Amino acid sequence: MHGWADMQGFALYPFDPPGDIGALRAELRAWLAVNQPQRDIVARANCWASFDADFSRALGAAGYVGMTLPIRYGGGDRHPLERYVVIEELLAAGAPVGAHWIADRQTGPLIVRYGSEEQRERYLPGIARGELYACIGLSEPGAGSDLAAVRTSARETAEGWRINGQKIWTTGAHFSHIMLALVRTEEGSERNAGLSQLLIDLDTPGITIRPIIDMAGHHDFNEVFFDDVLVPHGALVGTRGQGWQQVTAELGLERSGPERYLSSHALLAALIDAAGADPGPAVAVLVGELTAEMWTLRQLSMSTAAKLAAGEDPMVEASVVKELGNAFEQDMPRRVQAIVDGPWDDPSDLGRLLRALLIASPSFSLRGGTREVIRGIIARGLGLR
Amino acid sequence: MSAARAMLCDTARAVFAEAATAGMAPVEEAGFALLLVPEAEGGFGGDWEDVNAVLQIAGVTVPGLPVAESMVSDALLPAATVSLMAGAMGQALALSIEHVSTRQQFGRPLGKFQAVQQSLAVMACEVRAVEAAAAALAARLDAVGLDPAAADFEMAAAKLRANRAVGVVTAIAHQVHGAIGFTREYDLNRVTIPLMRWRGEHGNDAYWAARLGRQVAGLGGQGLWGAMTAR
Ligand SMILES: Cc1cc2nc3c(=O)[nH]c(=O)nc-3n(C[C@H](O)[C@H](O)[C@H](O)COP(=O)(O)OP(=O)(O)OC[C@H]3O[C@@H](n4cnc5c(N)ncnc54)[C@H](O)[C@@H]3O)c2cc1C
Repeated sequence: MHGWADMQGFALYPFDPPGDIGALRAELRAWLAVNQPQRDIVARANCWASFDADFSRALGAAGYVGMTLPIRYGGGDRHPLERYVVIEELLAAGAPVGAHWIADRQTGPLIVRYGSEEQRERYLPGIARGELYACIGLSEPGAGSDLAAVRTSARETAEGWRINGQKIWTTGAHFSHIMLALVRTEEGSERNAGLSQLLIDLDTPGITIRPIIDMAGHHDFNEVFFDDVLVPHGALVGTRGQGWQQVTAELGLERSGPERYLSSHALLAALIDAAGADPGPAVAVLVGELTAEMWTLRQLSMSTAAKLAAGEDPMVEASVVKELGNAFEQDMPRRVQAIVDGPWDDPSDLGRLLRALLIASPSFSLRGGTREVIRGIIARGLGLR
Repeated sequence: MSAARAMLCDTARAVFAEAATAGMAPVEEAGFALLLVPEAEGGFGGDWEDVNAVLQIAGVTVPGLPVAESMVSDALLPAATVSLMAGAMGQALALSIEHVSTRQQFGRPLGKFQAVQQSLAVMACEVRAVEAAAAALAARLDAVGLDPAAADFEMAAAKLRANRAVGVVTAIAHQVHGAIGFTREYDLNRVTIPLMRWRGEHGNDAYWAARLGRQVAGLGGQGLWGAMTAR
């Protein structure tokens, strides 16, 4: 079904958003020129990890968050490819979209697809305003690449679901209002059977969130403990026992977006600016090579987005985008460092961006599925597994 | 794919299969030189997407014949070469998948070993990237009436990306084939040797990288994104 054969061919899936895309870009760029906070340049790199509640709210008020959600829930009822254009512009500009990022990218669409009417009314308007933030509760200490090893349990009782267990590496749990968690609802079930998704309000008693500081010194991810946490019956998302299938669909949204090749765009732009209009041969060659890769990735990413928007499930293509995008972004700082002279604590924009991205880059092929897992999905698409 | 293009591809497959032994005569008889000539002038009235499709087939079946030269102007030969390369890479991947699915060692098909799976996944990504580059370049060329100057950015990016994929694709294809792939008899060299040749023809890495790099330097850091999204 996800075969390699049907993604091969002579043409790309046509990227054809409705309406005047040039005008949409121009409006957003004009809006950003006024509203994007003039923060440190380093914050422009990897900007989907940059938290700024005021910016998220302003962006929501301007209609650029929850764009594809239905109007009756506060969304914009826009085409997914219009949203794609907005997202790539925000990332290329290095806008601080981290606060609402996950809610906008996957939690909102997932609630539309699987959520109950009550959940839609309760959560979607806040998401569309850019005020309600979400985190993803998949990984556990014993369940990393092997996600089917999830052990956090939820037992149905007369009052609701009683949750016990622990999640880890949960990005943004410390500022999020809700977690979409994958939990084991069927006692004694094994592997990917018996799992369900629950939408958990993070201010529920019994939840403890502890920071984990990453190697860049940032507090982005967390440990989240559940100690006899009681949530209502209505917290169940979609079908009981279908959590695995629902999560797999969610990961498709997570893997193919433009963030997989635009996280380091600020570094490329800084390199170009530092080199000036008449660059030396080594810089010119590197800029040429990086541009060729980025241009190609953009074509692949747009084609995959178009396929997703048309209701297909381009699982393998999404993985190709992530694999190539991660490799591109991990390579870029290394290759820039190879030709740019400067001390480790170089205070220039280029120097600081370079250091920040060198340190951030190991995470690119871990978050959202490791390189090995992604290559395994592609190999399955090739018919090898 | 449109019905017309599917038919064109069927014709190309049949004609090139014949040309593989008979040389250019069947290609000329079939009129492929007229592919881009407007219908009003007695041609086929095709576009670059047609050329891309036909040359991907040529890259597999008749890599040694001057099919591209017979169809397009010299200034467009770099673009034509990208299509040939995309076709040849697709074939290298297809041969590799076929081989690891049938060849057994340690009591299993090679493709059941994770190390082999991961290598082929890497190769598949490169192949897909070059197919995408060829398709996006085709779309640009068609949008600008096949004016090579107006598609210089895309031509540079696509040829450079294709050149850079050759190393990975040929290395992995040969590695997973073992010694059989190193024989003259086995089909793999009929696409890997042309790939090595095409990498150096119509602009090597250094040529296109410097040319694209200087073009982008003129745009500036922000200008690059503006230019990329404007076309
Ligand atoms: C910055 C960052 C943010 C994250 N945010 C979130 C989040 O918000 N929510 C969330 O739930 N999780 C999050 N994660 C966790 C992420 O999903 C996991 O790190 C990832 O799934 C890998 O799990 P692990 O770290 O336990 O590594 P492991 O699974 O222990 O893997 C370690 C290494 O072994 C390899 N390996 C494992 N199994 C195999 C196999 N069968 N074959 C070959 N190689 C294998 C892996 O590919 C990897 O290279 C985040 C991670 C990072 C780095």
